[in-house]
Amino acid sequence: MKNIDTTSSNDVANLLNNASNIIAITSHEFKTPLTAISASVELLATRLHSNQQMDAFYEKNLSRITTEIFRLNNMLDEMLTINTIMSGRMTLNKQIIDVVQLLITLRSNYFADPEDTRSFELIVSGIPQCIYADHNQMNRIFMNLVGNAFKFSREKPPVVEVDFDHHQVVIRVIDDGIGIPASDLPQLFQPFFRASNVDEIAGTGLGLSIVKTFVQENNGTITVDSIAGEGSTFTLTFLYHSDSL
Amino acid sequence: MQHTILLIEDKPGLRDTIQSLLELHQYQVITAANGEEGIHMATEHLPHLVISDIYMPVLNGYQLLEAFQANEQLRYIPVIILSARSATEEVNLALKKGAAAYINKPFLFANLNASIQQLLQTTSGSAPLTL
Repeated sequence: MKNIDTTSSNDVANLLNNASNIIAITSHEFKTPLTAISASVELLATRLHSNQQMDAFYEKNLSRITTEIFRLNNMLDEMLTINTIMSGRMTLNKQIIDVVQLLITLRSNYFADPEDTRSFELIVSGIPQCIYADHNQMNRIFMNLVGNAFKFSREKPPVVEVDFDHHQVVIRVIDDGIGIPASDLPQLFQPFFRASNVDEIAGTGLGLSIVKTFVQENNGTITVDSIAGEGSTFTLTFLYHSDSL
Repeated sequence: MQHTILLIEDKPGLRDTIQSLLELHQYQVITAANGEEGIHMATEHLPHLVISDIYMPVLNGYQLLEAFQANEQLRYIPVIILSARSATEEVNLALKKGAAAYINKPFLFANLNASIQQLLQTTSGSAPLTL
């Protein structure tokens, strides 16, 4: 009986491991055709421009294809990340990080929707100090929260406030978007959970659970204040490098 | 001055599209389907810059970078890696093996072109290209 149980649990472990590998491999394989499609769209756009045949209709629809390609790519990245987390293969590479510099770089490289020309506003207060965290994970945290702030907001650009407090940096990502219904807030950071008012906005429901995992891995905290119809504020805190030693 | 770029990519459709995009932006493009062919083309033509995939048959992108570093004529030619793999370990490994830049697939051509321009400016007139 014992042998059967052991074999059975080994089979389950192998199955999960194989499933995890299949997700990792197929997610990467999907990126090759996505790259071919996005490059072909850019080739068409370049050709139309050089032949002076580009008009508003072509421009809008070609740019929409590109937006959707990158949205699909983000979903693949989220699946890959959650797969890495759930299979216990996540590794941390902590280093000294200048949060303000990271946000400035993010702002200059940010790509989401070519039709949305807004940029987020960055407000810094206090004396800047560095934190000790994984650079990639911090980047993913801000990419996700800022991306959500753009995706769910309406007119005003999102605001990122960085407040260097006594022992920690407090970062607030603020939007004037559709907000989150109070009844959804307790489940917001659960994998695959999507708020009840986001039906028409694409997403996997994985982003915030990844954010929370990464925040915890870097000894930070995350909370959310939101009113449906008025907007959301995500507040993050991280200890300074000197205080985390 | 027209710059010559060697594009190494094993997927023929993607290789053709990127080649056309580069040519529409006034670069002269030569191509190879894997790392081994890439080294042969690079040695023969001494391009100003190389764009290479990582996972290819015969000889992969990491092996290509190693071969470039070991070759006096090729080691100063900047190599941009274009890859679907975005894990930090893979990016760091490519940079450690001598890649001049690492761009994730899918990419925006504007970002690839900005890297090309920057690298061509940095390395313009460098000795190995005229040897």
